[in-house]
Amino acid sequence: MAVELTMAQMKLAVMRHAYRGQRAQTAGTGATIGVVLAAGTAYLGYLSPDYLAAGLAVWLLGWMLGPVFMGGGDETLRPEYFAMLGISPRRLAAGLLTASFVGVAPLVSLAALAGLIVAGTRVGVVNTLVAVPAMLLQLAVFVLLSKISVAVVGVALRSRIGAIAAGVINGVILSSLGQIWVFMIAFGVSGTPAVVWYLPSAWGLLAVRGQWWALAALAALVLLLLGLWAALLGRRAGRPRVSGRGRRPIAASTAAGAVVAKELRTWSRDLVRNHQLAFSLAYGLWFAASPLVIGWNGMLPYAGPIFIVMAAGMASNLYGTDGTALWLTMMSPGATDVRGRQLAWVATQGAIAIVLTVVCTAIVGGPWPLVLALLPALLGGAAGLVPLVSVYALVPATDPHRRSGNPLRTSEDEGGLTGLAYLMLALVLVTGVPAGLAAHWLGWVGVPIGLATGALCYWLFGRLAEDRLRTHGPELLDIMRTGRKPVTATSMRRFEELSAVQKNVAGVGFGLGAIPLFPQGIVALGFVLAGRTDMSWFLATYLPGPWNSVVAIAFILLGIGLYGSALWVLRKRPEPDRISA
Amino acid sequence: MSQETGPALEIAGLTKRFGDKVAVDAIDLAVPKGSFFGLVGQNGAGKTTTLSMAVGLLRPDGGSARIFGRDVWAEPAKAKALVGVLPDGLAMPERLTGREVLTYLGLLRGMPRDVVDQRAEELLAVLELDSAERTLVIEYSTGMRKKIGLATALLHAPRLLMLDEPFEAVDPVSAATIKTILRGFVAAGGSIVLSSHVMALVEQLCDHVGVVDDGKVVAAGPLDAVRGARTLEETFVGLVGGERAGMGKELSWLSN
Repeated sequence: MAVELTMAQMKLAVMRHAYRGQRAQTAGTGATIGVVLAAGTAYLGYLSPDYLAAGLAVWLLGWMLGPVFMGGGDETLRPEYFAMLGISPRRLAAGLLTASFVGVAPLVSLAALAGLIVAGTRVGVVNTLVAVPAMLLQLAVFVLLSKISVAVVGVALRSRIGAIAAGVINGVILSSLGQIWVFMIAFGVSGTPAVVWYLPSAWGLLAVRGQWWALAALAALVLLLLGLWAALLGRRAGRPRVSGRGRRPIAASTAAGAVVAKELRTWSRDLVRNHQLAFSLAYGLWFAASPLVIGWNGMLPYAGPIFIVMAAGMASNLYGTDGTALWLTMMSPGATDVRGRQLAWVATQGAIAIVLTVVCTAIVGGPWPLVLALLPALLGGAAGLVPLVSVYALVPATDPHRRSGNPLRTSEDEGGLTGLAYLMLALVLVTGVPAGLAAHWLGWVGVPIGLATGALCYWLFGRLAEDRLRTHGPELLDIMRTGRKPVTATSMRRFEELSAVQKNVAGVGFGLGAIPLFPQGIVALGFVLAGRTDMSWFLATYLPGPWNSVVAIAFILLGIGLYGSALWVLRKRPEPDRISA
Repeated sequence: MSQETGPALEIAGLTKRFGDKVAVDAIDLAVPKGSFFGLVGQNGAGKTTTLSMAVGLLRPDGGSARIFGRDVWAEPAKAKALVGVLPDGLAMPERLTGREVLTYLGLLRGMPRDVVDQRAEELLAVLELDSAERTLVIEYSTGMRKKIGLATALLHAPRLLMLDEPFEAVDPVSAATIKTILRGFVAAGGSIVLSSHVMALVEQLCDHVGVVDDGKVVAAGPLDAVRGARTLEETFVGLVGGERAGMGKELSWLSN
């Protein structure tokens, strides 16, 4: 156990240093959201075993897909650190697994797995006791499957074909989850699908409910996965090699042309970007096409717009992923690379989006005004927001030549990366709203509006990003060099001065306000007004009118209330008040 | 050259704090035009921080830096056009080949395409990077990274070179080439500031030297004036080593 305990202590020591300043806040907000979700899952154990099995399946998928989608999972202790110590791969895997249990995410998951104890108490005393080892084994399965899925994708990312294949598979899985109602209708499933009982996430629950063999199966699975992971760890050495083929010479003769040429080459040569592009494309196409399964083609024309939004989310840390290379632009007098990056973004992602949109809309035969209004609006919006968000909310990333054997791990701050991606998704959607509404109400008038807002966003946001880079270049470079954001922002200082209760109000308000406001509020109200009922997780659509509208509006008010109270707590106070506080 | 007025580099009161630690404590330094200036100091003495602030890559908490009389922070475009920089360990456009990096950077600086091509060709040949035409920078060895970094610093014909540890991880043959290039640059009237903790190297190349310790300049001037009758290493240890606890001690389980 010496190796395992030492590694766990190392992890704890690293975490103590890492979770300071802004990252502590991000982690705190993440933990708050996690605890609420965990409490909800545990409550499912009280409601019904079916619900708990389904809930744990979602946790399993979160563990497996989350790190692949963003950040590459926990790499506080890298296998490379121990390469020269002569530890056997299996021992190393066991040690790293033990260290993986130290952290916020495993603790939160363990809280969710307390649902097993809840479920056990509803059956009997022995069942409750069995729930304890079941929880631990179940957590080990979550963590191991997470590590293995990251390792498998990491191996795939050594070659272009692997990178694209992994991106397509991830895109299809994630979009299928988003469209799960389609498949439930298609297969005539109502309530909880039986398949959740076959997933390893339910084995612990099976054991708690008296099928003792499941506990042994869970233990065997842990050993099997540990062996598999140990084998995969051995394949991690070395970074992905790019083929040694001839290179196209750069033909540009201007500064802007040079930036475009550099970006286009990076898009085609960086396998992580290949992976993200394939993911976004598969996600958009599959999300829009999956309702065809139930004979509804109304979503197909939106494959292009969905692709744009997803691709923008993937590129939300554009400057961060290039790391300290920013110094070269800073040392070239008068040079700016924002416009070049925007052009390259439109050239790569825009071309795909246009083809996708035109082809898919032509298949369905419309609605041309709406999609042609959304296309330029979102494309311009995304091309403007990508540089803007990535310089204003830069998440420090590891320099490309210093990354570990895990190509998905571009930053030590995966919470920040994920938050930035979601922020980008929301902001890009907003840039499509004026054109979308205009096209919805006025038809073709929406198209020039979309072109206008797209051009405006492209120009204005690009300009703002340029200004920011010029005025804050040294600060951005410092963040990338040290990997730490300085805690000098006044809002941050104000946050530090709050009492624990106030911090929680702010954290919960900012962390959870989006859920009632957007999916359960605005989106649900949209579905209610469109007359749709029983829509997956949009609560209001299950209720009879007029209660459905009332509930949706109440959710909107709740969301506004949460954001409002968070802002109120963080409001500026006059100096004497702050001193006495 | 009319744009060259004053010393090649003039640093006055440059200060940087990281939290409670004062990394660079009101440093003053003047690098005469045409000199080969060696900045020496222990790890963590503040060499890299000073150089970063002097070229405009790190914002100082106080003080100023002038390159040929141009204030780096007030007139960045004019100052930066005169200086070529090799920072230690920063990223490059990693998915480009060496030639592509030079083409990209030359164009970014607004140089004409034919000039960029001709200089890139010469730099790659002299630094022996032309055999790696198909290799992306991310696949370069540490020594190759230093060499392509040096090439980017030289591309636009600067009048001052600021090089942070330029010989680290560079093989002896390439080091000899780089020394020849740098000596030729100084002989033609250029000025160089080079940081290193290899004293022999500084003695071999530089005519001026500055010793930094704990964020302060403890000695600066012509090499012979600073070292006197001793070697630079002896002088350096005398200046910054003092009575430090760890100096000269052996490890108990490895000796005897």
